Amino acid sequence: MTTELELRGITKRFPGVLACDGIDLTAERGEIHCIVGENGAGKTTLMSILYGLFPPDEGEILVRGRPVRFNSPLDAIRLGLGMVHQAFKLFPSLTVAENVIFREEPAKLGWIDRSQATARVKELADGYGLAVDPTAVVEDLPVGVLQRVEILKALYRDASILILDEPTAVLTPQERDRLFEVMRRLRDSGRTILFITHKLAEVMAVADRITVLRNGRAVAELDPSTTTPEEISRHMTGRDVEPVRAGPSKGVGEVVLSVRSLTVEGAHGLPAVSEVSFDVRSGEIVGIAAVAGNGQTELVEAIAGIRDVEAGSITVAGVDITHLDVAGRRRAGMSYIPEDRHRVGTAAAATVAENLLMGYQRSDAMRRGAWLRRDAVVEHARRLQEEFAIRVSDIDVAAGTLSGGNLQKVALAREMTHDSPLIIAEQPTRGVDIGAIEFIHSRLVAARDRGAAILLVSAELSEIQSLATRILVMFEGRVVAELDPDRVDEAEIGLHMTGGKVASA
Amino acid sequence: MPERLGSRFLAVVGHPVTVALVVAFGLGAVVIALTGGDPAAAFGEMLTGGFTGSGLRNTLGRMIPIVGMALAFSLAFRSGVLNLGGEGQMLMGALFGTMTAIVLPGPGPVVIVVAVLVGAAVGALWALLPALGQTMFQVPLLITSLLLNYVARATTSYLVRYPFGEPGAAFATTVAVPETNRIPDFQLLGGGISISLFFVVALVLLLAVVYRRSVFGYETAMLGYSGPFARYGGVDVKRKTLAVMGLAGAIGGLVGSHLVLGETYRYIDADMIAQTGFAWTGLMVSLLASNRPWAILVAGFFFSGLQIGGFAMERSTDVSFQLADVIQALVIVAVVSRLGLTWRRRRKLGEEIGPPQPEMEAAHVGEV
Repeated sequence: MTTELELRGITKRFPGVLACDGIDLTAERGEIHCIVGENGAGKTTLMSILYGLFPPDEGEILVRGRPVRFNSPLDAIRLGLGMVHQAFKLFPSLTVAENVIFREEPAKLGWIDRSQATARVKELADGYGLAVDPTAVVEDLPVGVLQRVEILKALYRDASILILDEPTAVLTPQERDRLFEVMRRLRDSGRTILFITHKLAEVMAVADRITVLRNGRAVAELDPSTTTPEEISRHMTGRDVEPVRAGPSKGVGEVVLSVRSLTVEGAHGLPAVSEVSFDVRSGEIVGIAAVAGNGQTELVEAIAGIRDVEAGSITVAGVDITHLDVAGRRRAGMSYIPEDRHRVGTAAAATVAENLLMGYQRSDAMRRGAWLRRDAVVEHARRLQEEFAIRVSDIDVAAGTLSGGNLQKVALAREMTHDSPLIIAEQPTRGVDIGAIEFIHSRLVAARDRGAAILLVSAELSEIQSLATRILVMFEGRVVAELDPDRVDEAEIGLHMTGGKVASA
Repeated sequence: MPERLGSRFLAVVGHPVTVALVVAFGLGAVVIALTGGDPAAAFGEMLTGGFTGSGLRNTLGRMIPIVGMALAFSLAFRSGVLNLGGEGQMLMGALFGTMTAIVLPGPGPVVIVVAVLVGAAVGALWALLPALGQTMFQVPLLITSLLLNYVARATTSYLVRYPFGEPGAAFATTVAVPETNRIPDFQLLGGGISISLFFVVALVLLLAVVYRRSVFGYETAMLGYSGPFARYGGVDVKRKTLAVMGLAGAIGGLVGSHLVLGETYRYIDADMIAQTGFAWTGLMVSLLASNRPWAILVAGFFFSGLQIGGFAMERSTDVSFQLADVIQALVIVAVVSRLGLTWRRRRKLGEEIGPPQPEMEAAHVGEV
């Protein structure tokens, strides 16, 4: 085995924070090296340094034994590093081939040689079993395929070290398994893969070696054949983590949310949600499982009042809210933890206190006539900060400076604190660390036990399985199955999510 | 605590506004030197001409419309509404405010108050046109508010030439506002300044309190930070857009009414068209002050002094007063370009709890 990449004593300080504290990491040629750690452990910073986004304060990077210094990602790319980001960076209106060749176009007399571009992309794709049509336009493709395009981009630039930043967050179980196959094939061809993830099952399935980061340090290097998920998790958190078991519901009561024949228009005038009917009762968590883009987002937005309803009705606690505005729906008893916590769930430029106030600025507790009660707003924010362990030096700090898990706690704290009869939780734990996931799950279960009706939308099947009382599967805008989480396994749910067939393409 | 003093000193020196001022005056000096002038003498004249004696009085007088229009712009802008129709709102308010003061009988103080309120109302209505276009028909307010400026210019020009014009006048103007119906001056530094100055300062105070303390201030600020966040939290985006546009237009109408009732006492078409520059100076002041009322007062005073000082500089040196406009523009360019961005990033990092999340801007295809 030869060493492909070595990091020695990488240290990076930000004002008041030691993001990386002397991290050592060695990756061999032809291995899948998993980097796990909670949010704030230093994974993102470490990968940003490795990809040339900013320099380390101390330490050195060696690629194939040679010390290197990256001033920008272009330097990193030149030395054979490729990165697949969590948020894809593609041009929606261009084809797969055009996206892949961008900045390194094969040319003939100064003109792009399209046939050669297509042929080379196809050759690459076929060589690694990445099923992608090079002539397809990117905006027409599902996320699973987009990820393959990102991988192709890196391979086209002849990346020998591939960094995959939480690549499975947007995939179905079937797509995930295919990605793992591709990763193994890439490894067997002599490439090095740095795989960043939170999910221990994935680590166990695919890793050749595991480095655990905690508080900016590499606390353990483990061999998957001799370790257990419990041990990894202990290293990540520095303690034992009990996965939240929802336990049996303490009794299901009245119908709180009632959706009847709901139709919502999507893009191109096609229905994104068609004729969907279901109830959520007090004391139960109903999970909605669906692959991204099958109408679950539109369904939730229609219930929350930020998307128009085409037909059908929505009732909350006996009140018809179909035509109420958001404020009216909140008054009727709806709380909503939205999927996009950066744009919708919080405002980055606003302070933590201002973020915690949103939605309740007109409640009697928070205002006196037209004026806000500053003391009440501050007290409310401090109480939530403490109760939900939001790690922030002061409630007047801009929310945009918070890490992902902390930011989600802000949204969660705000929505959970008003004892609403209905709570909509959309991807509540996406991209947050294990400790925060545990916390969020226990809060949702506690809300259920006090009698709230909870609608949980999640791409994490394990989350839905462990929390939900019932599972509704959506496919192409319709509810195609209602399942009992105790009686089905992941594979079966996945099958329903893809319309009963194994995902094609 | 010398260390903290040191870091505060650095924060002021490294502040984008400081950097912008240094850059702007530095480039201004280069321009003067290249054209054969003496930068030190020119800037000296500018400072003494703008900030001492009768020059200071003129600066304070000129602040009234500049700060007023800056407040009007910032009120909408901090809510994420880009109102470029300030000059039209000002002109329409000015003409109708003036006509009210001319034709309305009654005791002076009452007429003044009514006239100014009519000016504010007309300015508000004019601003509501593009706002309604956006909320009802999704016509971008940015464009319609700008284009309505030309409609306002043409409309006021027509009205002041024909129905409202002074018969037999050599140029397009209304008759003079009766002396009893003019906004009075107070004496300072050997001359008069309109008492409107006090109202502008009061407006700064009022808006500062409303922004910080009221439900309205909170909801509009959140709307400015993130439209989706505000909508999600139950803020009625359409109503807020109409409200901030109406208020911005009302302030524009107040400023316009002041320009006639407190300064020229006649609505002279050519003069008023020239005064529309205040709307754009106000926009720049608002940008420089990041929409904060107190900062607008300071920045408005500064820009006003630059303009007055520019005239003084032209009188006593060979340097043209337009240099003041150049420096203003350079300040804004420097503030809105990278100089400011690096500071913002540094401030963010300074209060950082976790490590930053580097997000390179590019096409995100997550929503296909």
